[in-house]
Amino acid sequence: MFHWLEKHPFFFAVGVFAAIAFAGLVEIVPNFAQQSRPVIGTTPYSTLELAGRQVYIKNSCNACHSQLIRPFKSETDRYGHYSLSGEYAYDRPFLWGSKRTGPDLHRVGNYRTTDWHENHMKDPAAIVPGSIMPKYTWLYKNVTDIDTAFAEQLTDAQFFAVPYNKPVPMKDGSTKIVKLGKSVAEANAMALAEAKIVAKDMKDQDIKDAIASGKIPEIVALIAYLNSLK
Amino acid sequence: MENRPLEYDYTVAKMFMLTTIALGIVGMLIGVILAFELAFPGINTILGSGLAEFTNFSRLRPLHTDSVIFGFTVSGIFATWYYVGQRVLKVSMAESSLLMFLGKLQFWLYVITVAAVVVSLLAGETTSKEYAEFEWPIDIAIVVVWVLFGVNMFGLIGLRREKSLYISVWYYIATFLGIAMLYLFNNMEVPTWLATSAAGETHIGDWFHSVSMYAGTNDALVQWWYGHNAVAFGFTVPIVAMIYYFLPKESGQAIYSYKLSLLSFWGLMFVYLWAGGHHLLYSTVPDWVQTMGSIFSVVLILPSWGSAINMLLTMKGEWQQVAASPLIKFMVLGSTFYMFSTLEGPIQAIKSVNAIAHFTDWIVGHVHDGVLGWVGFMIMAALYHMAPRVFKREIYSKSLMASQFWIQTLGVVLYFTSMWIAGITQGMMWRAHDEFGNLAYSFIDTVTVLHPYYAIRGVGGLLYLTGFLMFAYNIYKTMTAGKRLDSEPANASPMGA
Amino acid sequence: MNKLYLWGIIITAAMLGFTYLSVGTSKGGLNGDIVNTLAVTGAVVLVIITVFVVIKYVRQMQTDTADGELAEESWDNIGEYKNPVPFGWAVMFLGTMIWGMWYWVLGYPVNAYSQIGEYNEDVATHDAKFNAQYASITGDRLVEMGESVFLAECKVCHGLAADGIDGQAANLNVRIQDKSVKYVVEHGSNNHILGSEMPMPDRNGLFNANTGALISDSEIDEVAKFVSGGFKDEKSAGAKVFAGVCSSCHGMDGRGMEYVAPNIREFTPTLVTNVLNHGKKGAIGTMPAFDRLNAKQKEAVGAYITSLSK
Ligand code: HEC
Ligand code: HEC
Ligand code: HEC
Ligand code: HEM
Ligand code: HEM
Ligand SMILES: [Ca+2]
Ligand SMILES: [Ca+2]
Ligand SMILES: [Cu+2]
Repeated sequence: MFHWLEKHPFFFAVGVFAAIAFAGLVEIVPNFAQQSRPVIGTTPYSTLELAGRQVYIKNSCNACHSQLIRPFKSETDRYGHYSLSGEYAYDRPFLWGSKRTGPDLHRVGNYRTTDWHENHMKDPAAIVPGSIMPKYTWLYKNVTDIDTAFAEQLTDAQFFAVPYNKPVPMKDGSTKIVKLGKSVAEANAMALAEAKIVAKDMKDQDIKDAIASGKIPEIVALIAYLNSLK
Repeated sequence: MENRPLEYDYTVAKMFMLTTIALGIVGMLIGVILAFELAFPGINTILGSGLAEFTNFSRLRPLHTDSVIFGFTVSGIFATWYYVGQRVLKVSMAESSLLMFLGKLQFWLYVITVAAVVVSLLAGETTSKEYAEFEWPIDIAIVVVWVLFGVNMFGLIGLRREKSLYISVWYYIATFLGIAMLYLFNNMEVPTWLATSAAGETHIGDWFHSVSMYAGTNDALVQWWYGHNAVAFGFTVPIVAMIYYFLPKESGQAIYSYKLSLLSFWGLMFVYLWAGGHHLLYSTVPDWVQTMGSIFSVVLILPSWGSAINMLLTMKGEWQQVAASPLIKFMVLGSTFYMFSTLEGPIQAIKSVNAIAHFTDWIVGHVHDGVLGWVGFMIMAALYHMAPRVFKREIYSKSLMASQFWIQTLGVVLYFTSMWIAGITQGMMWRAHDEFGNLAYSFIDTVTVLHPYYAIRGVGGLLYLTGFLMFAYNIYKTMTAGKRLDSEPANASPMGA
Repeated sequence: MNKLYLWGIIITAAMLGFTYLSVGTSKGGLNGDIVNTLAVTGAVVLVIITVFVVIKYVRQMQTDTADGELAEESWDNIGEYKNPVPFGWAVMFLGTMIWGMWYWVLGYPVNAYSQIGEYNEDVATHDAKFNAQYASITGDRLVEMGESVFLAECKVCHGLAADGIDGQAANLNVRIQDKSVKYVVEHGSNNHILGSEMPMPDRNGLFNANTGALISDSEIDEVAKFVSGGFKDEKSAGAKVFAGVCSSCHGMDGRGMEYVAPNIREFTPTLVTNVLNHGKKGAIGTMPAFDRLNAKQKEAVGAYITSLSK
């Protein structure tokens, strides 16, 4: 049979394809059938958080940081509760990473704060002696692209039924609504309002001035995102 | 016409040889920079802090992986296909002006795509998925290049005079199909302009931005089904295709066993795809998918080793050739590193071992004993074998090649031993509790211990890069100054002093 | 013995020895952890198998000769023998398949194994050991334990010496800094430091019983100096202000009153525990709550911090 296949390239290719496609079907399809559903308390990202997530991706923070706490005593001691599938329901793309040059960040919002990030991102080694993380100084100057984040939210809402403007159940039994702007202008205004809250805990005068003039430096969006990781 | 010896046309092969070398230099240079950035973070601002946005570790890392994978390795695959394909199918590219045209088109589109990739990654346009960072416009370009490759491959096969397909061709076909399937499914993404135009607004934000079709755990599952098999069909299958041609050809030996080739090939095809779960051990994908990943990884040792053993046995009784020819040394040591990494991978895929290894430099070590010792060695060996035949000149310098071999071998050894120790040390420190039951180390303690290993790795990488530059120089001199040959050497490539 | 085997042994020994030295002398170590042991065993097996299998084939290159029946075909002059599959290879292939079934059914049985279940057991074992040994430690041992928590969890903000890294977090070697006292007196405070929602009023609610007026700017400066100075100069103006304004809640000596106001003269484990439970936002910045520490760890780090300012 194999000799025959080797003389008939078409059937040979079909045979190879069958051999390799089979595993994918068995492994992936069942999981899709039971789609990852959000756990209680998981909310869609606000415009500013999503913009911060894009800053995170743009700078490939995932090259050094994971967002996946494995169920080991040593990891839950260090980072908090192990990660649950449903917590990632609104993560497109997922950001688990595959290398921990730096620590896991899946729940960093629980144990680091706005002012700490502000100092740390500017010069990590000044805060954590021996750190090998780069200084992200440009984040303090570049202006956040809120428009693209808003476009992503629209896509999430339209194509993936992400529940913007809908009550989402929270752990304490209440519900929370994450609003989606009706226009680019409204989305920008909402993001700015959120940015003001973050910037209140920051010290850098240039940041405060930028926010006052209606511009959101990337660092502010990034911190909003990091704070949302809980 | 059947009576005349065929004149093979290596135009396209030569073009891709060029990009193999150029992109190899770029990719490995960035690799060396990355390595030193971890050892000495000051290097992040190598071109001044104004440009640090583009030269820091995280911005450069995807550029390294993509230029060595989609640049160096994929070019190597194309170059060798356009050489090996014609010869084992006994058909010349010159026989079909259509295929010739498509081949050149493929090359130029490829070059344009590479340029787009470099620009976009430097600008930070990435989707974050490892080895699939590109946004959809580039994805489309890549698919077109790949389809052209496939058309050429099946075009040549259609025209072939050799009725039955040689082993290398099996592996090239698998490469084409595997990558096509994986790339398409992993890159399913919805461009944001689709939604914004439906919302009645046009041009909100970046036009090229997209959102992954899959979310969270599902996304991870698809990504590592891709990521693992991109390794399979990028770093293993096509490289095996190369060694099955170049080792017997260079040594003049017959393949040791057809049966072993056969079982290894079909075993590899069937088993490889199941193993992807080993990238997701202890994650939130279902336990059974993980278990499957572990099991099939271990089973995978044998089909992988099958090819390597077949190659080593092909050299049975030919030690004098191994001793005499640096070209053959590259391939024999390449098989050895292939065996090493395909045993190391399965060991790391065992759950309890992965609990330590995952997320650490031990994985990076595993990656590089495969890519440097196996992929890199094999592609360079292939190009060395091709050079005298496509340029019709003797290889410029044998002694240069021999020193290159030893320099690079030392480089690989320094790279993987340092990373292996770094990974195991860090993995254990992460897990350690002290006598009170508290974590024994804060994260930064586990970073600072790695400094010496990062420095050693940097030196290893620098040695490897040096060797690669020697290779580039040797090929360049072969092209321009090698002694002319009036007939093609049957096997052992002729080399100048 | 053949030279090759000698080389094999040397290479293996060198790699293992080097690994042993680096990993062993590093701070990790096996620690009797089964996972550590398995990982190292895996690494050892990896080197030994690869080196010796490759040597076996190199020996064949040196001593054997190629033979067998050639297939009819050849491709670009590459021939192919019809040799059988190597026996050892075939046996190992079968062996791994059998191992795979074992793993599937018994090792990590798909129907019974759950990684979360394994985790829960692990935590239970760990906690049992920990509780039995350390639940009741006190005194210096408790401070030592607290120091270990501090070094793993707190030093990234408070610094190795707990000095707050140039004012980026609280300096824990002193109870409280001048600017913090000022800030609290001016703006009030609502950090649940008492473990309850009891707030401290801002300056518009702070009467000086001695003057009968609201606290003034200069009085704020004075009292801040007195409090941050550690209540030393009992005759200073600040001491008077304190007696007039603050002592009604914080007590004459500043050591606080249960349910009314916290101790602002020295750290106590209870105070630190409350900070860890609720976090704190003040003049310096924000201190996060630390849910993932258990009660004993909080008490211990509290004891450690208390010991620093003594
Ligand atoms: C070269 C690797 C590297 C890159 C790239 C990197 N980091 Fe880090 N990061 C580290 C290391 C190492 C640490 C631990 C030492 C420290 O705290 O500085 C760390 C720590 C952190 C922490 C503190 C987490 C904790 O638990 O203490 C945060 C938050 C963080 N990084 C965010 C980021 C963000 C956001 C980016 C991208 C914009 C980024 N990092 C890029 C290496 C990196
Ligand atoms: C009405 C009662 C009351 C009075 C009067 C009062 N305090 Fe307080 N004080 C509190 C309470 C309650 C807290 C805890 C608040 C919290 O949980 O954040 C507190 C907290 C503090 C803290 C600790 C804040 C921190 O962030 O660690 C300081 C310092 C302090 N008070 C200083 C003073 C001084 C100085 C005065 C007098 C000028 C004063 N207090 C008067 C009730 C009072
Ligand atoms: C993300 C940074 C961060 C981490 C981690 C952190 N702290 Fe703090 N901590 C702060 C900051 C900032 C303050 C100062 C708050 C203020 O008063 O403005 C503070 C204040 C404190 C105080 C002073 C409370 C008071 O009333 O004066 C104590 C006690 C304390 N931290 C203990 C700890 C302990 C114990 C840990 C570790 C288990 C820890 N901190 C970890 C940032 C941090
Ligand atoms: C039998 C064959 C192999 C198996 C079973 C295997 C297994 C593994 C495992 C378990 C990991 C680590 C996953 C993690 O914990 O993060 C890994 C990572 C990796 N391996 Fe292999 N490996 C094999 C062969 C190879 C070869 C030959 C190469 C390259 C030439 C290679 C390249 C890689 C790469 C690039 C990664 C990193 C993926 C990432 O980005 O995380 N592997 N492999
Ligand atoms: C000069 C030689 C090279 C050096 C110094 C080098 C260095 C590096 C460094 C420092 C990293 C990042 C590791 C980390 O994040 O900790 C890396 C990643 C990687 N490199 Fe290289 N590299 C070299 C050559 C190559 C080659 C030739 C290839 C492929 C053909 C390659 C493929 C990869 C891959 C796939 C990764 C990602 C690994 C992962 O995610 O686990 N490298 N390399
Ligand atoms: Ca990776
Ligand atoms: Ca893509
Ligand atoms: Cu894999």
